[in-house]
Amino acid sequence: KHSVNRPPTPDGAEDQGNEPALQEIINIKLIESGEKERLMELLRERLIECGWKDEMKALCRSYVKKKGRNNVTVDDLVHLITPKGRASVPDSVKAELLQRIRSFLMSAAL
Amino acid sequence: MSSKINGHVSPQPCPHLLVFRSRNGPKPFRALQDCIRVKPPGGRAAIRREPSEVPRCGTCEESSRSRLYACVACAAVFCHAPLLHSHASDHALSIPGHEIGVDVDRAELFCCACGDQVYDRDFDAAVVLAQTVNATATTSTSGSTAMQCSVAGSQPENLRKRRRVDYRPWEPGSGEHISRGNQSIPLLDATNASLVSSTQQPWGLRGLNNLGNTCFMNSILQALLHTPPLRNYFLGDRHNRYYCQQKNGVINGTKNSRLCLACDMDALFSAVFSGDRTPYSPAKFLYSWWQHAANLASYEQQDAHEFFISMLEGIHEKVEKDKRKSQSPGDYLSYCCKVVELASALRFRTAGLMMSTALLLGDCCIAHRVFSGILRSDVMCMVCGFTSTTYDPCVDISLDLEPNQGSSGKSSSAKSLNSFNVEADCMRPNQNCGISTLKGCLEQFTRAEKLGSDQKLFCQKCQVRQESLKQMSIRKLPLVSCFHVKRFEHSSIRKMSRKVDRYLQFPFSLDMAPYLSSSILRSRFGNRIFPFDGDEQDASNDLSTEFELFAVVTHSGRLDAGHYVTYLRLSNQWYKCDDAWITQVNESIVRAAQGYMMFYVQKVLYYKESENQGTS
Repeated sequence: KHSVNRPPTPDGAEDQGNEPALQEIINIKLIESGEKERLMELLRERLIECGWKDEMKALCRSYVKKKGRNNVTVDDLVHLITPKGRASVPDSVKAELLQRIRSFLMSAAL
Repeated sequence: MSSKINGHVSPQPCPHLLVFRSRNGPKPFRALQDCIRVKPPGGRAAIRREPSEVPRCGTCEESSRSRLYACVACAAVFCHAPLLHSHASDHALSIPGHEIGVDVDRAELFCCACGDQVYDRDFDAAVVLAQTVNATATTSTSGSTAMQCSVAGSQPENLRKRRRVDYRPWEPGSGEHISRGNQSIPLLDATNASLVSSTQQPWGLRGLNNLGNTCFMNSILQALLHTPPLRNYFLGDRHNRYYCQQKNGVINGTKNSRLCLACDMDALFSAVFSGDRTPYSPAKFLYSWWQHAANLASYEQQDAHEFFISMLEGIHEKVEKDKRKSQSPGDYLSYCCKVVELASALRFRTAGLMMSTALLLGDCCIAHRVFSGILRSDVMCMVCGFTSTTYDPCVDISLDLEPNQGSSGKSSSAKSLNSFNVEADCMRPNQNCGISTLKGCLEQFTRAEKLGSDQKLFCQKCQVRQESLKQMSIRKLPLVSCFHVKRFEHSSIRKMSRKVDRYLQFPFSLDMAPYLSSSILRSRFGNRIFPFDGDEQDASNDLSTEFELFAVVTHSGRLDAGHYVTYLRLSNQWYKCDDAWITQVNESIVRAAQGYMMFYVQKVLYYKESENQGTS
């Protein structure tokens, strides 16, 4: 039984091994077929529906209120909401996306 | 770091952007514009050198990074994840003049040295242009007028042609001084203290007798009697019933006073503001209204909202007819010329344009001047992205009351509770409690809605019916916003009617800014400098969009056996108007009431130069 709760994907390019190369190949396949865009739209829709986007917006707003509008950069906000954002994606959304990617890979392999 | 232009914050450029601009001419991002790729429908804008390009970081060769920026100076692409590694920052810091990049997936300019988004008017305009697909010719459906939609860069005539003036309080002229001395009596005086109620109720509070299931009428009348612009109009003698009837008698050659709901309103205002506190019977008014709305003439309970609409129509019709009749041919001709001039500026292409334009201007009668606003409807074809825009006047906004309309997504509660610590992260308590709010309803009203596959609309570009995305917004706010909650559902299919009793929370103060067309369009195109058409013309664009609640019409009981009651807010005190009985109540009672129609008045009034100098 595959768990959807994997440890967060590392951002760093430190561990260059076989994994990033595979990720690259899959990414390119997804882009070239147009599937990546469809998946992005689906993800956007789901994250809006479940209120995730509003939650992130609210977090950003309160941070900007605290620091002052002129003292906040996009990088600050990305840093602020990335960990929380990744952690709070609903399991159902993760499962759905993973399922879609899986079916895509299986159809692409044929 | 940001300045206000046209009421909207325009960010100041960072030092790197300034240097970049000085080195590369006035339109430094011109070359980028050719790389804007928009995927219909509704188009996300991306930057690609070739349409099929897969961007990857020049340093680490990865394409699967979440943020990739193309250097505007040398077109090299780099990834950017500031805390872990940023090859974009490395590039920016290593070569001066290469700090500005563009997000390849969002078409947004970014300074990799400052780590912040930057803006360029021309670039943003180009992106928005690429994202909008417009018609050159539009046709209208009955009752609405279609206008060419130019989202960015156009200069249509402002709807308001007369310029704004500062408010100057009225000073009595010499004539007024004289008549004041001779013919008037002070309102409040020791000699007429008997007129003033001992309970010290505010002026103009008077119960209305129920003449047989007429609480639907009484409740609306109470709200209208205390609608500030309407009240001022009638109390200021702007529609004098004696003069009006006299004029009509002369024109018609008959002695019978013709039906004029405005005259009846004038009579009502006189009666209610006379100081007499005994309940008043608006029989004449009821009779007049029956004559106007013959199909509703019965002693059955009617819908208050229907009454409201038909009343406004009644005032409009009569006043319009009078205006046309009383105008000399020369006057009418110049009026028509003005209308045609404005219409061509707004690019109308429809029949019935006289009526529509007058309505759009709201200049036809007092009813429309107070209540008429303009709604904008954008319908986008999901296949090609073509958007058609129509403008319709409205005297109120009818809102659906569905469960779970707190100010967030549709089914927020269940899913997000898994992931969040409720106490700490719940920014808006209403969201998880599922209380419906007026703001939530307005958000729903202005949300982009996918029309079902059974509701395909004709797309001018595709020339077939396609699935569409529809979004409403408010182009022009009325002086008084009336919100009607759709609590009564009549389904002819299911042959049943039902009432939605669900509680709706409404605020005492309401800012309508997020629901304006300018805001809605802005959010549609994301993070850009975005001049909304009409912005440039109107210098005073930081117009207040704040409204204050002054009347609530509530309904209690069932669909077939119910009762209307109005709550009025006078000098920040609330009064319950239940037919003949008026009582002062606590605001908590009002908050807990089942709102059916809510009336909000603009907090700040703006004045235009009058066309008629010295006459009313």
